[in-house]
Amino acid sequence: MIGSVNLLIGLAMGLNLMALGSSRLPSVIRAMAVQGVALGLLPLLMSEHFELLVALAAVGTVIIKGFVIPHLLRRAMRAANIDREVEPLVGYVPSLLLGAAGTIAAVAVTYRLPLLPEHAHTLLVPGSLATIFTGFILLICRVKAISQVCGYLILENGIYLFGLLLIRSTPFLVESGILLDLTVGVFVIGIIADRIQRAFDSLDTRKLTVLRE
Amino acid sequence: MSAGIMLAGAAGALALSAVAGLFLPRLWLGATVAGLAAAFWAGAAVLAGGAPWEWRGGFQVGGFAPHLQLDGLGALFLVLLAVVGACGAVYSRGYWPDQAHPRSARVGRVWWSVHVMSLGMVLLSANGLLFLVAWELFAVSGYFLVTLERQRAQARAAGWLYLAVSHVSALCLFAFFGILAARTGSWELGPMRDQPGLAPLFWLALFAFGIKAGVFPLHIWLPSAHSSAPSHVSAIMSGVSIKIGVYGILRFGGWLAVPDSAGWIVAVLGVVSAVLGVAFALGQHDLKRLLAYHSVENIGIILVGVGFAMIAAGQGDAPWGRLALAGALLHVWNHGLFKSLLFLGAGSVLHATGEREMSRLGGLWRLMPWTASLFALGAVAISGLPPLNGFVSEWLVYIGLFDASVARGAAAFASVSAIVLLALTGAMALACFTKACGVSFLGSPRSESAARAHESGPLMLGPMLALGCLCAAIGLAPVLFWPAIDRAACAWNPAWVAMGAPASLAAIGASNIALALACLAAAALLWRRVTRVGMRRAVTWDCGYAAPTARMQYTAGSFAGIITEWFAWIMDPQVQRDCPDEPFPSHASYEEHTPEVVLERVVEPAGALTMRLYAAARQLQHGRLQAYLFYIVIGLAALAAIAVMGGGR
Repeated sequence: MIGSVNLLIGLAMGLNLMALGSSRLPSVIRAMAVQGVALGLLPLLMSEHFELLVALAAVGTVIIKGFVIPHLLRRAMRAANIDREVEPLVGYVPSLLLGAAGTIAAVAVTYRLPLLPEHAHTLLVPGSLATIFTGFILLICRVKAISQVCGYLILENGIYLFGLLLIRSTPFLVESGILLDLTVGVFVIGIIADRIQRAFDSLDTRKLTVLRE
Repeated sequence: MSAGIMLAGAAGALALSAVAGLFLPRLWLGATVAGLAAAFWAGAAVLAGGAPWEWRGGFQVGGFAPHLQLDGLGALFLVLLAVVGACGAVYSRGYWPDQAHPRSARVGRVWWSVHVMSLGMVLLSANGLLFLVAWELFAVSGYFLVTLERQRAQARAAGWLYLAVSHVSALCLFAFFGILAARTGSWELGPMRDQPGLAPLFWLALFAFGIKAGVFPLHIWLPSAHSSAPSHVSAIMSGVSIKIGVYGILRFGGWLAVPDSAGWIVAVLGVVSAVLGVAFALGQHDLKRLLAYHSVENIGIILVGVGFAMIAAGQGDAPWGRLALAGALLHVWNHGLFKSLLFLGAGSVLHATGEREMSRLGGLWRLMPWTASLFALGAVAISGLPPLNGFVSEWLVYIGLFDASVARGAAAFASVSAIVLLALTGAMALACFTKACGVSFLGSPRSESAARAHESGPLMLGPMLALGCLCAAIGLAPVLFWPAIDRAACAWNPAWVAMGAPASLAAIGASNIALALACLAAAALLWRRVTRVGMRRAVTWDCGYAAPTARMQYTAGSFAGIITEWFAWIMDPQVQRDCPDEPFPSHASYEEHTPEVVLERVVEPAGALTMRLYAAARQLQHGRLQAYLFYIVIGLAALAAIAVMGGGR
């Protein structure tokens, strides 16, 4: 079972690199959606016997992260009429290298952390750290609002992965609350992206600096 | 009548006066003087041997029960406050009348009442929160008094500096009382010498109260505030307000356990303030600024006494410490009296001529004989000359130091050097007041306004005369005032019991009386000869020069030039000269200016550097979301690094 968990997390880590290396927005969104589905399935594999609540949470996560949120983002993308990140602050190859270095560092750091024995042999912690790091790289290095939303969602995936360490003690209500927040957040950002596009004639978040005091 | 009833009456009368000040100037004056008379009575009753007064409110105000107390130490300062407050109030009616200052006179009366009341409150508080409230009120009312003449940019700048520095002091006091309350578990104040863990707090108190007292490197607010305020305000600020700083140092140096080095530091600060205060005073050309620097000097003398008393307390209550403390406490009174007298005198000169620049005064002795005589009396007193009060208190400090110097140990070496430096201070103070009196009052007028001066009215001369009489009384009969000083000293250190006046004090009193009588006799003899033989007035011999002018007299700068040169290393006088060079020079000029060294060379550059650092830090806030996120990552990485490094523990 640990093998299949590690396989899924490894897939997620690979998708991180894919999101970093891609210039087209649809492929970033796709990478994020597939990652959401892969991580959503994890709780089912990790619990020793079938539990209804865990299954419900997993199904909800897969539906929302894999289908609802990507759908909302694609719609916002079409409304704003862009499908490509044109001039990132840091190029694709450097961000890819940065992501790879972050992944290696995450694995290295994990060896120094005082983990419980049952978590020590999974990729949960390094995968989570690498995914969080990837999310940050996307947030910092990309300028279009939609790529930043993707970065934010990948960051959230990393946090979710870390939360799986506590799967037995996190109440179902909290899980579903987080999911609801995410959906509403992306929904709102979709609307805001549309507004930004209309006001600034671009989705470049650097132009938002004129809004500061 | 008990002290409590008198204090309640005083509070009521002062509250009434604060309201009456707006509309009814006469009622304001009556209520202020009556309230301060009641406060004087209460303080005098405690000093004359009555039991210390204490009052605890049975109710809560804002979460704490008010607790007031008046012991010998507080009473000593309360009596001084009452005298100077009343004299200043009477003086202000002549000096700052409604006709000349329609708006600020009203405001000034109200703030005067508030200032006096808050000063009294500080002296009575035995609760940390109450103390802080009173302290803040005292600082803020002082600000409004300093800026009464706010149409002058100089007064506004001085007020701003005063407010800023006062709040540095208040902030330290907040920390001091806060930590004290956290350690003891209550805001109540009182003797707690049995807790040696509280000793380091003394440094905080010394810094905060040292700012208020105007101790040398912390005095930056003092010269400009004292010289820009109206003269009656300068009188109470210099006479009483800065003494509250001394009160704080004494009060908390007595109630709390103090570090071993506390006495040494206080004594060193005292010596530095005394010598550099008088040196800077010599470099001033503005009469009120000169007096302000003398406040720094006299605070220094007081702190020398306090410091040696603390050293003695650390060495098993050596008896010389008690004499030094008594000298310091008496000097608190004396400086309050003669410095108020001098500031009121300077105010009369300013009122009559509109000039504070000494180089534009001169010859006032003939036009304002009363002001000149009373100013001269104050000058003799502040220079520490017999037969006046300054001599008595400095004498007590000196005999304390002399006794310390014959004892063994480090205190002996310290006291010898302190004696030498105090003697230097005294000599320079005499030189400085010779300059101030000579340049302002003697010679012939240097400007039109000085030539048209007029004597002040009775409302202004009366308070000066009263203060002058008190100076003379303490000088001529010091033994009468000893029990009060002794009671205050015993309140400072409960281990001491009352003792009679030292024998030398009675001898000083007798010799002062003899000296005064001899001076009077000599004056009478001279007067008789002058009236019998008659006087012939002539021009001063001018070496045959054909066209002498009043501007050829000694100026304030030229008189003090030699001594200020000794201190050029710290005073850094700015001189601009245009020397005459040809046989028939067409023009020449000479200009000298003494900067505020600590303010302009240390505090202002430090402030500018801080502002530059903050301006540089503002670059971080540019509105770029990506960079903000980058800050977060850096912060998280740093936290993770700390956690991983310390993860082994």
